[in-house]
This record gives sequence, structure tokens and C-alpha cells, in this order.
Amino acid sequence: MRLVGAKIPRVEDRRILTGRGHYIDDVQLPFMLHSSFLRSPLAHGRINSIDVTEARRAPGVVAVYTGEDMKALAGPIKPVIPTGPAPEYFPLVTDKVLFVGDLVAMVVAESRAQAEDACELIEVDYDPLPAVVDYETALDPSVPPIFSDLESNVLVTRHLEGGDVDAAFKEADRVIEVELSQHRVADVPMETRGVVADYDDDSGQLTVHSATQSPQGVRIQLASTLDHPINKLVVLTQDVGGSFGLKINIFREDFCVCVASKQIGRPVKWIEDRNEHMIASGHAREEKILAQVAVSDAGDVLGLKAELTLDQGSYPGLPFGAAIFPSLIDVLLPGPYKVKGYSCDSKVITTNKCVYVAYRGPWAIETWARERLLDIVAHELGLDPAEIRRRNYLEGAEGDQLITGRSVSGITSRETLDRALALIDYEEVRSQQQVARNEGRCVGVGFATFLEAAPGPPEMRLGGGMFAGEQATVKLEADGRVTIITAQSPHGQGHETTLAQVVADEMGVSMDQVQVVYGDTRLTPFSIVGTGGSRAATWATGAVLVNARKVKEKVLAIAGAQLEVSPEDLEISEGIITPKGVPSKAISLAQIARQATLGPASLPPGTDANLESNERFLGEGITGSGWSGGTHACVVEVDLGTGAVKIVRYVVIEDCGRVINPGVVAGQIRGGVAQGIGQVFYERAAYDKEGNFLAGTFMDYLLPTAAEIPTIEIEYVESDPEGEIGFRGVGEGGIIVAPAALTNAIEDALLPFGAKITEMYLPPAKVLELAGIIEE
Amino acid sequence: MTMDMELTVNGSAYQVSADPRRTLADFLREDLRLTGTHLGCEHGVCGACTVMVDGSAVRSCLMLAVQADGCDVMTIEGLERDGQLHPLQESLRDCHSFQCGFCTPGFVMTALAMIEEGSAPASEEELRENLAGNLCRCTGYQSIVEGVIEAVRRTTDQSASAQGAVEKRVS
Repeated sequence: MRLVGAKIPRVEDRRILTGRGHYIDDVQLPFMLHSSFLRSPLAHGRINSIDVTEARRAPGVVAVYTGEDMKALAGPIKPVIPTGPAPEYFPLVTDKVLFVGDLVAMVVAESRAQAEDACELIEVDYDPLPAVVDYETALDPSVPPIFSDLESNVLVTRHLEGGDVDAAFKEADRVIEVELSQHRVADVPMETRGVVADYDDDSGQLTVHSATQSPQGVRIQLASTLDHPINKLVVLTQDVGGSFGLKINIFREDFCVCVASKQIGRPVKWIEDRNEHMIASGHAREEKILAQVAVSDAGDVLGLKAELTLDQGSYPGLPFGAAIFPSLIDVLLPGPYKVKGYSCDSKVITTNKCVYVAYRGPWAIETWARERLLDIVAHELGLDPAEIRRRNYLEGAEGDQLITGRSVSGITSRETLDRALALIDYEEVRSQQQVARNEGRCVGVGFATFLEAAPGPPEMRLGGGMFAGEQATVKLEADGRVTIITAQSPHGQGHETTLAQVVADEMGVSMDQVQVVYGDTRLTPFSIVGTGGSRAATWATGAVLVNARKVKEKVLAIAGAQLEVSPEDLEISEGIITPKGVPSKAISLAQIARQATLGPASLPPGTDANLESNERFLGEGITGSGWSGGTHACVVEVDLGTGAVKIVRYVVIEDCGRVINPGVVAGQIRGGVAQGIGQVFYERAAYDKEGNFLAGTFMDYLLPTAAEIPTIEIEYVESDPEGEIGFRGVGEGGIIVAPAALTNAIEDALLPFGAKITEMYLPPAKVLELAGIIEE
Repeated sequence: MTMDMELTVNGSAYQVSADPRRTLADFLREDLRLTGTHLGCEHGVCGACTVMVDGSAVRSCLMLAVQADGCDVMTIEGLERDGQLHPLQESLRDCHSFQCGFCTPGFVMTALAMIEEGSAPASEEELRENLAGNLCRCTGYQSIVEGVIEAVRRTTDQSASAQGAVEKRVS
């Protein structure tokens, strides 16, 4: 193995550093039209009338569509993967607007400016309706459901139990009850959404250029909603400027743009502006957990009862809605701890807010809530937060399971905590904290442990339904070069590099001989999520690895027959096949590839000229626990004058198995931590009581900059380093655990003031409230 | 109505007519098809559209094309020479500075202006402040900071200020 494990420079970087990346707004087609949407100014309201006469007459306008126009051409929209009661709705609203930013009308014009100008000329008369904005209103049975064809604003309920929860609570010395809430934030990729649809009337082919995580997900949902033959629907994706879960979705705008292209017979483009993006693309994370923790006075966590409420906003997401997420959250909430009894009741509610979408680690509240609860319990019992974790960790022994029944044999939670505390020099930090307190300064230390099911243990992989398995193609081309076709659709993860590293090693060729193909549904295999769910490290890598092995077997069978050597005694290096230890006898991959392509009949009998393999990888050969995981620890200092929090030190101990490319892995971890920092201190997708959105620009929705994010130190615990397929996903751990480590550190700093953090969002004013310096 | 103007972009001279309302960003992207300059917010916060105008980093979404009349404009497409990456580009590649690449042109042009002005930061903290006008959502910035420090090291004569930055570098 030469390339796997090395910090190989990324294949992608030459084009992105020279301005030759090809993003959705760079798609330019002959005779292309541009579109713009009129959006609702109200959170909830009935449309009495809509007048598009003036807009239709405006300069450059080619078409204007109202909700009724569009309803005749597409929909109703049904998620291809149902996850709960689905209301009937259409690409543009037909009767009621359901959130500020809802889609009322579409204008198609020769230029974007003309389309935007014409939107201003559309007259809409609304009757405002009371907006459902908060949990309490949504749960009030006297409030009419916002979807008139559903019975209630509670869409889904779910119950999960593990162990004997009543017995666990009976055994306890005390029960601690806390409600923990995390606020609505947004994914905010630097590239907004966009789509270009190009319909060819002769062939009936609809070609859709989509900035997506999942071209095949877009294709299957478009075909279904547009009632378009799927074999005449092509989705193409090139560079995508970030996503973080948002662009797994298929959006109502996508349907409209496709319909317009089919109707008009010209390519139609839509590029979202940043204000639209903040208001209407998607929001995430708005959830709360009411928890009761049953503990012994000695610090044994015996039982946990939880009630989870998730606010999905208005429309369900596509191809699957937010109702899927409680089933991830409730399984993981008890985490790697020896709880004896557990129950969780979940509700998904609907409100007059933007659509809830996946955001990197969409189940993340389980980590924050659990690791917050552990610190709250420790403080109540007078224990050190490290001590309560060490006392309760599952050790990862053979047969160990989460209380929810998932195997955790081989996890390294304790090891990562011990290493994190050693790295930050925990005892020294504690003594410095005392010195600081004596000087009137406010220093705190916090840490938290997470598990990331990437890919998860065998029972989660095989029970993973649509997420189980991945197909890929590896082929030896006529000149001896190698092509990989992956179902992944990268948007920053560097798969063109990492997949090539793995296959180059396996096939015995150099990196520059390997080409990674993605983002073309004519070639790429089906995957509903594409690049998402931290799947690439195990599933995509496993898929290309097993297929590379198949191709290599076929090649060595041919070479063995020609060299009169047993295939097991052959090795490939730099594209040359030689018997081990006999370098003088050699044949090149290129020779075999050429012969198999141009003279297949001349191959030795019993060998296969098809030097391509596209088997579906179902997890065979995955070694280790199946869990990524680790511990983050940080030291903070709170300025009691301003409420600002300085992150003095931040360390990550990560166990994601074998690291394919340290540059890529560290980037995934640090990027996630930075988003976690943003979520705690800066970012909030805020609404007022009437459902007006308050964070529509980058002056209101604050992203952290280089000045706010500290150096993030990373060490790896490479459990199972020699495993056959021992690579595990690392996309989401950083963001799911960082808010817990940070809020634990801040509470630790503010303990002398009796602070107890139950809401994740901690802008300076909130920090000063917690310190008792200002009132709420 | 359009206005006639002359400008140089990446070393090529242009005599063009531009709509007075057209931003420099739209002019570069749509009229010259220099799509390396990206639009992330169109209100001057994210910095993705940063280009160099007469040696200074400017946000091309906040500048009108006609304001560049008589100016020397450089975009991300202008750094590579004869297939050879600029040392800044090489350093950023070697440090795995970027991921999705959308913010990349803006960071590169901001850093290039800083390096070409000879105003290498005295410390990592100062460099982070200098880069704080550009937003990246993927990386957590550390890799970008490392890449720029490496570029400063490669492009300067180990001046005292660059040395200071290098010494503070966390590898």
C-alpha cells in the first residue's frame, strides 16, 4: 500500500484553484432563458386572487405561471420515500401560502433581471391567517391544522424502548429532569441552489443540470412528480459549492424549471439569490428533548426517559421528509453508556416556517442532549464530568450493545476520552482554572463523546433499507488506464482523490492512471443519497475496492496463463505485472487491456475479456466496530464584561478506523467543528411571533470567519488499522459533538454563578444572563 | 444605454460597451465568460467574488463594471502562467486548503493582494483578521491559514514578518 494513508494533494484542486471549476451558474446553453419566483410575504394566508396581466406584458417575459397553471402540468408532489402522512401540495401554491418565502408564481424571461422585474408586477390579494410558529401552538389541538387534508399539526409519533425503564427508575436514588432545546439554523453552503432544465422536443429527453448531492435521487423524484419517463430523464452534476445535507433534497423550484423548459422548448435556468436562500431553501435542527435521568448517588446512570419534539416547518422534504430523523435520534440518544432502561417518545410537528432539511449529522441533538445531561448530572452529584463518563461507558467488549440493541463491540469511547484529557493536560487546566478564578477570570473546560454510525454495526447496515449497500464500476480501459464510476456525487469531499488512491493501490497503478466518473445518471449507479450520511469512506470505498479486486483477478488470470505462472504468484506495480521475485518476466496492464479489447478471441482459454466489474457491495469485508467516534475537549475563557467566549484550546480525538487521506479527513473534522462553533455562538434562523423571517442576509445570519475559529488539534485512534475494509465515515462527527464540548466548557466556566445551560444558542447576551450579570 | 470603456483583464486589453448598471462580477462572468469569479451573496459580505483591481482586492459584486474603466483587473484565471501554478496556488494545494472550491477564488485573490502588497502579516492572528472578510463553510479555515502562511514563506525572502508567521504556524 503506497497511497492510502498519505496526504496526497487533491486531484480537484488544480481546477478549483485556477477558476476552472464548473458550478451550476456556469452552465450556459444556447437560447437559455432565466427564471425568478414570486414568494409569499406572509407566513400563513389564503390567496384570494392573483393578477399576472402586467407581468406577462413586461419586457423580455416569455411565460408566467401561477399555482393553477403549474398544477395542471405537475404534481401533486409525493415523496418517493414516504416517511409520514403526506399532505397534497403542488410546485406552486394553489390556495394557501404556508411560510414566508413560499412559492406563489414563476416568471420566465430572456434575462434574470427581466424575470425579477416582472415578478414585481404580479398583484396578489391575500387574507392573512394566524401563523403557527412555535411548539405550543402546533401542539394545541384547538388550532386548525395548517394542511387542511391532515388531521393535526402533529404529523408523526413514535415510541422506542430498551431494557426495563420502570425497574431502572425504581432502583434510582434520584431523578433529574431537564428540557434541552436546540435552535433553528441553516446549512448555508457558499453556493446557493440552482438548476438548468433542457428539454428536447424531438427525443423527449429532459436533461437537468442540478447542483445536488444525489443526481439519481433528483432523477427518480423528478420522473415521479413530472410523470416523465425515467429513461428519458438525464441528471448531470459537476462541481457543487457545498451542501451539508441541503442539496440532498429535490426542491419545488426544480419541478417548475423542468415544466417551463418542457412547455417552452428552450433551456431554463434558475439561480437562487442569497436572500431567497436564507428564507426559503431549507432550515434545520429545531428540536427539543424533555429528559428524565435516573441515577444512583454514586453516579451510575440507570435510566433515561425522553420526549423529543421536532419542528419540520411547513412542507415535507423530498425525497424523504424530516419525519425520518426521530428514528435516528432515538436509537442513538443513550449513546455508549451502560443505561439499564430507556424510553423515547417522539413527535414531528408542522409549522408555518421554512422546510426542515438534513444538516450534517441530522440526528445531532442526541449527542448534545446526552453529553449536556451527563454534565448536569455530574454537577448535581458533585462528580467530575470525566468521572461520570468513565463510570458509565460501555467498554466495547464482545457482545456489548447500546440499550437500543445496536452492537458496539470494538468502540473506543473511553480511550478517546482518556487521550483527549491527556492532550489538554486536564489536571493542569483544572489548577489553572482555580488560579484564574482567584484572579477574577472565568475559565472553563468541557468535553463530550460521540458515536457516528458510518457505516454502523452489521445490524444497522443490513437493516438500513435504502441506505444499505452501494454499487460501483471499475474497469480497465483499452490503454491500461482505470476508470471508476461511483454513485457518490462529491461537493467538497475529494472523492476524485480518495477513491483513486484506494483503487490505484489495489490495481498497482499510479494515481494519474485512474479517472473517477460521477454526476451523470446515464453512467452512475443508483443511490438515493449520493454523497451523504458519511457513506463514502466505507460504502463507496468498499464498492470500488471489491470491484477493483474482481478486475485484478481477471487480469492476473490472463497474465498467469500467458506467463505460465500461477496468478497468486503475480504482483502489479506501476502497471507492470511480474512474478514475485522474478522481475525479468513481465507483462503490462496495458498489453493485457489492449489484447482484451481488440483481440479478445486470442486470450488464453478460460479467461474473461470483460475487464470491468460493477457488483453491488453489501458490506462484506468491513472490519471493526462499524462506528466512528471520539471525544472533543476544549478550554474556554468567558469575558464577563462583554459575554464573548474565547476558545483557548480545542482538541479532537477521532477514531474513524483507517485514514485514507489525512488532508481530507482533517478537513472534514475541522469544517464540522467550525459549523458547531457557528451554531452555538453566531447562527440562528430566527422568526418573530408572526412568522416573519429575521435572518435574510449575511448581516443577520452570521457565519464564523477565520478570526472566530481557533486552531483545532487532531489526533487519531486508528482502531483496526489493518482491517480489510477498515475505513469509516468522518463527515458528521465534528459538528454533532462540538456544541456539546463547547456548552459543557462554558457551563463549567460559569459554575460559580450557578449557570445551567439548557438552550444551545449562546450569543454574548445569553452568556451574560447565565452569569447573572444581566437579566433575561 | 451603454457606456464605452477600456480596461485590462488578466493582461488582455478590452474595448467594450457595458450597461452602467452591470456589476463588475456580472461583466466578468457573463460578458467575458470568466466564470472563476463566484457570487456567494451579492451584498458584499462573503468575499467569493473578490478580484484585484489595480493591485487591490475588491468585491466585484459591489463595483460597477464601468467603474473599472481604465483599470487593470486580475481574476483567478490570471494566476496560472503557461500551465504553471502560481506559488500561492501550489501552497494552497499542498496544504489541502479548500474543499468545495466555491469560496476559493475569493480567498486566493484576497491572499494574492496581501502578498503582492508585501504586507505579510506579523502573526497568525493578524493573518486570520486579514482573511476574515472571506467566508468559507467547508474547512474551518485552518487549512487556508496554513496554505497562505506557506505561500508567504515560499514567495518572500524570509523577511522578518514572514518568519514571524511561519514560527507561529501549527502543523
